[in-house]
Amino acid sequence: MILRFNEVSKRFQDGSVALERVSLEIPRGQFCVILGPSGAGKSTLLRLVNGLVLPTEGVVEFDGICVRPHTMGRIRPRIGMVHQQFHLVPRLSVLKNVLTGTLPILSTLRALLGLFPMQAQRRACRLLAEVGLGEEHLYRRASQLSGGEQQRVAIARAFMLEPQLVLADEPVASLDPQTSRTVLKLLRSASAQHGATVLCSLHQTDLALEFAERVIGIQQGRVIFDAKPDELDASMLESIYLTRESEARQT
Amino acid sequence: MNTSSESKPDKWTLRQPYSWKLLLVFLLVSAGLGVSAKRTDVARGFHLTLEALAYAVGLTDKAEVAVGWRNFMERAFPLVLSERTATSRLQDFDRNRLPPLSYLVQEPTLEYDLARGDWVETEQQEYLVEPLGYLTHVLWKMLETLEMAMWGTLLSIVLSIPLAYFGAAGFSWNSATYTSARALCSFCRALPELIIAIFFVLLFGFGTLPGILALGVHCCGFLGKFFADDIENADRGPQEALECTGANRLKVLWYAVLPQTMPQFIAYIQYILERNVRTATVLGIVGAGGIGLELKGRLDLSDYAHVSTILLVIFITVFSLEQISQRLRLTFIAG
Repeated sequence: MILRFNEVSKRFQDGSVALERVSLEIPRGQFCVILGPSGAGKSTLLRLVNGLVLPTEGVVEFDGICVRPHTMGRIRPRIGMVHQQFHLVPRLSVLKNVLTGTLPILSTLRALLGLFPMQAQRRACRLLAEVGLGEEHLYRRASQLSGGEQQRVAIARAFMLEPQLVLADEPVASLDPQTSRTVLKLLRSASAQHGATVLCSLHQTDLALEFAERVIGIQQGRVIFDAKPDELDASMLESIYLTRESEARQT
Repeated sequence: MNTSSESKPDKWTLRQPYSWKLLLVFLLVSAGLGVSAKRTDVARGFHLTLEALAYAVGLTDKAEVAVGWRNFMERAFPLVLSERTATSRLQDFDRNRLPPLSYLVQEPTLEYDLARGDWVETEQQEYLVEPLGYLTHVLWKMLETLEMAMWGTLLSIVLSIPLAYFGAAGFSWNSATYTSARALCSFCRALPELIIAIFFVLLFGFGTLPGILALGVHCCGFLGKFFADDIENADRGPQEALECTGANRLKVLWYAVLPQTMPQFIAYIQYILERNVRTATVLGIVGAGGIGLELKGRLDLSDYAHVSTILLVIFITVFSLEQISQRLRLTFIAG
């Protein structure tokens, strides 16, 4: 198992509960999609893996290492992350944005001087080509790219350090349906090519059914569905997306 | 339960645009300003201005401001551009190798005869006249002032870097370093340049060095605060993306924050440079070198025509720099 959640709960300071006693095991190489309404705890689940959020109770293990503040240095370089809003640096070039994926293994002096090794630059070019961006994009500013292109750059950045796990937090939420499909295809092919596990949160059930090998449904911080996508029927989808308001209205 | 979202919109409570509290505050502030205007001569200034306007349109035949203006114009013009020096006072003077454009004149020396109560000619004196000599001297002094402002700005940038890093929440090591950096910024800003310059003149003597140090110390407080505020307000998204990779704080600052904040940083530095040029012109008054020293000397001698030349050079320089700076800022922000 690459990832293990053992009775993990997360409560925020305002008293809201994001996750409640979640236990999960994700095997290596799996493309796993998390479905759930807004506020269900999908993002918190992903952010617990690379320590952006720490659990209130329970343990998260990545490749046998317990996720704790002092283990972040070992864990984070082995995990890539793709964000909903891409989180590229707008004024940096496409190449520089991808190369920032290698910052943890670059000495601070070399990083400050911008002296990225030629090997890293070549890898960045190959990854950009893999996600469908050409040489003409290399020195364009990230802010000059379309949403779909920016997400491709973010995927290339996530794969710079040969990650064993890629976390994708609603990577297609701000993209049109056609681009969303293309981006997920790229994510799947890149993870297959580089042997990485993918844990991806989505809102689009059709895309989840098309791309996922496993679907995890979360409702109000609890896992209520965990199976292959073909076992996900309409009634289950309805219960996953059943919000408190609609529940109240039904009763 | 009858919540506001369920009640009829016609019954919802709407607030008045002006509350009685706001009106009370307005009246209190107006009363305070009225009292203060009398204490600080603002009321007199208003009266004098009205009197000057009445004089200008011919409604009155005397105005205090008009008399002052006439006195100033009579003594401040024409501008002094040339310089005339007695050759007897020039060391190693060679009449065969005169400076460019200069020439020699013979003029009688005038001395005041107390017995006769009039000026009398004593002897013929040779003078070297340089038609643009004084202007050249003032321009050199202005250049010295610009250099002082430039070095003061560079010093303030260097000093502000650690202040900005430790004064930015999220990058500072702990609350003690954060509070110390912010307090140091406030302290530097609170000290006026003239006071700092007097202190450094006592330490290092007359010259441009105290001026440079005064500008550097005072402005690092501004830049430190501006930089730290911008670092704190930078978009968290790119920072989080780099934190996820495991990059340390310095790398996150360099690659995720500085590219975002750099146009603003350049704008701040340009503003501080412009401001330092203006301030450096008056720092000479306390002995900190540059054109200010020349200005103070001429003011003490009541050489108002020389003062006018100096003021004109200062005005043209500051105005030109602001124009250049404005264009550069637009280029950086657009680029």
